[in-house]
Amino acid sequence: MVAVVFWIAFIVALLGGISVVWQREPLKSVLSLVAVMIALSVIFLILSAQFVFAVQVIVYAGAVMVLFLFVIALMGPDREGRSQRLRFQGWLALLMVAVFAGLGWAMLSGIQFRAPEKTNINLFGTVQQIAAGLFSTYLYPFEVTSFLLLVAAIGAIYLSRRERD
Amino acid sequence: MDGVLHFPDGSTLDTGAFLLLGMLLFVIGAAGVMIRRNPLVILICIELMLNAVNLTLITFARQLQNLEGQLFALMVMTVAAAEAVVGLAVLVDIFRVREVEDIDDLSELKG
Amino acid sequence: MQDTAILALLVLLFPATGAVLHAFFGWRWPRALTMLLGPGVVWLSFICVVILFAGQIVDSRPTDSTYWTWITSGSFTTPFNLLVDNLSVFMCLVITGVGGLIVTYSVGYMEHENNASYARFFCYMDLFVFSMLLLVLAGNFVFLIVGWAMVGLSSYLLIGFWYQRPSAVVAARKAFVMNVIGDIGMILAAFLIWVTYHSVVFRDVFGRTGRSDSGGLEIICFLLLIGAVAKSAQLPLHTWLPDAMEGPTPVSALIHAATMVTAGVYLVGRMHPLFDVATYAHDAVALIGAVTALFAATIAFVQTDIKRVLAYSTMSQIGYMFLAVGLGAYSAGFFHLLSHAFFKALLFMAAGNVIHAMADEQDIRKFGGLWKDMRTTSLCFLVGALSLAGIIPFVGFWSKEVVLGDAFSRGDPFALAMWAIGFVTALGTGFYTGRMFYLAFWVPKSPERPVEHPHEAPPTMLIPIGILALLSTIGGFIQINAGFHNGWKLVDSFLQPAVGALGWEERSLEYIATAATVLLGAFTFFLAYRFYVQRRWDPAVLRSRYPWLQTLLERKYWFDEAYDAAFVRPMDWLGAALNRYVDRPIINGAVLGVGARTEETASDLSLTQSGYFRNYVLVFTVGVVILLAAVMIRGAIG
Repeated sequence: MVAVVFWIAFIVALLGGISVVWQREPLKSVLSLVAVMIALSVIFLILSAQFVFAVQVIVYAGAVMVLFLFVIALMGPDREGRSQRLRFQGWLALLMVAVFAGLGWAMLSGIQFRAPEKTNINLFGTVQQIAAGLFSTYLYPFEVTSFLLLVAAIGAIYLSRRERD
Repeated sequence: MDGVLHFPDGSTLDTGAFLLLGMLLFVIGAAGVMIRRNPLVILICIELMLNAVNLTLITFARQLQNLEGQLFALMVMTVAAAEAVVGLAVLVDIFRVREVEDIDDLSELKG
Repeated sequence: MQDTAILALLVLLFPATGAVLHAFFGWRWPRALTMLLGPGVVWLSFICVVILFAGQIVDSRPTDSTYWTWITSGSFTTPFNLLVDNLSVFMCLVITGVGGLIVTYSVGYMEHENNASYARFFCYMDLFVFSMLLLVLAGNFVFLIVGWAMVGLSSYLLIGFWYQRPSAVVAARKAFVMNVIGDIGMILAAFLIWVTYHSVVFRDVFGRTGRSDSGGLEIICFLLLIGAVAKSAQLPLHTWLPDAMEGPTPVSALIHAATMVTAGVYLVGRMHPLFDVATYAHDAVALIGAVTALFAATIAFVQTDIKRVLAYSTMSQIGYMFLAVGLGAYSAGFFHLLSHAFFKALLFMAAGNVIHAMADEQDIRKFGGLWKDMRTTSLCFLVGALSLAGIIPFVGFWSKEVVLGDAFSRGDPFALAMWAIGFVTALGTGFYTGRMFYLAFWVPKSPERPVEHPHEAPPTMLIPIGILALLSTIGGFIQINAGFHNGWKLVDSFLQPAVGALGWEERSLEYIATAATVLLGAFTFFLAYRFYVQRRWDPAVLRSRYPWLQTLLERKYWFDEAYDAAFVRPMDWLGAALNRYVDRPIINGAVLGVGARTEETASDLSLTQSGYFRNYVLVFTVGVVILLAAVMIRGAIG
């Protein structure tokens, strides 16, 4: 059962990813990405990351993507045409990523996994566990990240203010 | 160790499948960054790459039964959000001055 | 002996300090200070020298004081030591005494210069005095050469003092180049001395020479001779001296008459233990001196520039000194050095008065009638001229008599041959001296005279000349050879501890030779009168009958032309060729090439900055791929 769900999500994510790159209209790219994210969130759930699943749907697919949509809707162009410049760019890019993929696969196929640590699989990935980690051992990164968010927000407000004098 | 994940209903999946998806999405995102010319779409492809990385992290977290992966994925998500926000703000700023359809137009910093 | 050491150091320090102070501050302090300090330091030095002199009279032993060790390298040590003995004190008296008079004279002579130039002149003069003193006081070969070279430098600086004049610059360079040839000889000699005797200190070297070293010593002495010949403007390295007259007249008086050019004579005297063994080199000294004396005297016959006459006269008289020390009559040579310093400095300075009064005109054909207008100067000049011609009772007579007399008395064929040349030269000397005096002072005023009423010189310029005229008149009596067997021989006795006694006895025949020299010298002086004043025989007639002779003498025996063709042109050609084929393409090319290639490379590399974002990402990705591959390969191998 789980495997079936997984494979469906796999295909959706893959097709969505290709669609992101393939689509001419930015709007459709964004929507494809949303699909990818939803698929990924399902996979997260399969991998016992309940909290991350929730956050992915709410924050990532819900807020960040909506933001993208708004920007595209407000000032994005409609289509992307052909280009005269950098004619070899596309082919070279595909070549490079193919090589990269090949290397990556070679690396991953030879991998020897470590023995997993002993934890309770039922409690793994729950909100309590995440909270325990986040607010005790990893408090510092947490605080710094929140500060980062603050800075980003201020920066965004500043950059997009109306008056220019 | 063989990296096989067992699920409560008895089915098994190989870790490699998850990793394969992650790698494919990452590579597709990278190709998109290099091929697409609309700045917004480039940002979207970057988000795709980040998501792929998240997937890999969560996979290893599950495989190794170590929560750090998930915590790190949360951080990545946060940072990705922040970066998307700032990047969009910059783009909005540029769009005010001129209509940028093609990132190759923004090539004054050359030679 | 401590006092001697301190005094000797002071002798050097005063002019050195003067030079340094003038160099740093002279251009901005009041002129009066330069007028005081410039000569003042020389006189202070003179006082110290007089004290040393008195000390040497009391106790004539030499004092070798070492102050510090300059170089210690392996077994090679060079101390800074000064040798105070009768010879060096004698030379110091001449340098500081006559030098002091000349520097004082130049206070008045150089007054037309602006403040900075004025100070620069005295800086150079003090530098010269210091260098010359170092040369004669040095106690080892290294510092001798240091002084030698610095004297050459001072000469260059002073000849080219008016550097805006191209002719002066060229003359200075010529002097310097020829001096360097001499320096090379000196340095090679010093090397050989080090190799043979393992010391550069005079005392050590002189103590270790012996009859058996004659082969090596011949070479060493010939090399030293090259240095002496160059510095003293003897044949064949003499061509720089007439050109050196481009410098101001006090410079000609001090450097090119009284002191620097006598350094060669000093060298032979100081090195007499070496020359006594190296007989060939020793004879060469005398031969060169005699030939130069005659050679220079003949050229002086046709010179029209008053300073050039005096320059060739200097060359000739130094030839006499070389003749004397070359035959072994050291005191005679040094006595002539002293007397020549007196009367030649006197002559130059008096000529300087005339030049000053004639608005910088130097052609004697354009003078005339100065006996009436500038009585004091003319009188002093006459004293100098009579001295030069060797007329009793002036000092020139006594010293020339000693030189020729000692040569005659030595008796061997070589000495007699030298004497004969000297004798003929004395006749020539009388003639050209007379010519110079009559044409410049006695004949009626020339129509081309530039100044209508020339004024006599100011006291600062007259007093030194007066003192020298006095010395030229009475100075001879310190060494009386002729006619008095138990004569007063102060110079002989003073210098004997340093240079040894005369190796042979005087012969009574000598006095006949002496009388002949005096009489004939006076005769030729008078003969010149007949030629140039009474116009009894017109020189123009001679000129038309033997035009080739005139040209030969005017062209100075074609020496300059020969050197130009043999050395200067090839060197110019070589320099130009090297510039074109080595310096510009290879060396310049390499240096500039580095810059050019760097620019080209940078320019090419900058093409990678295409400005396209996508390009950059692609390159980025390529880098990541390469890194990943590298890691994997390393993991696979290791």
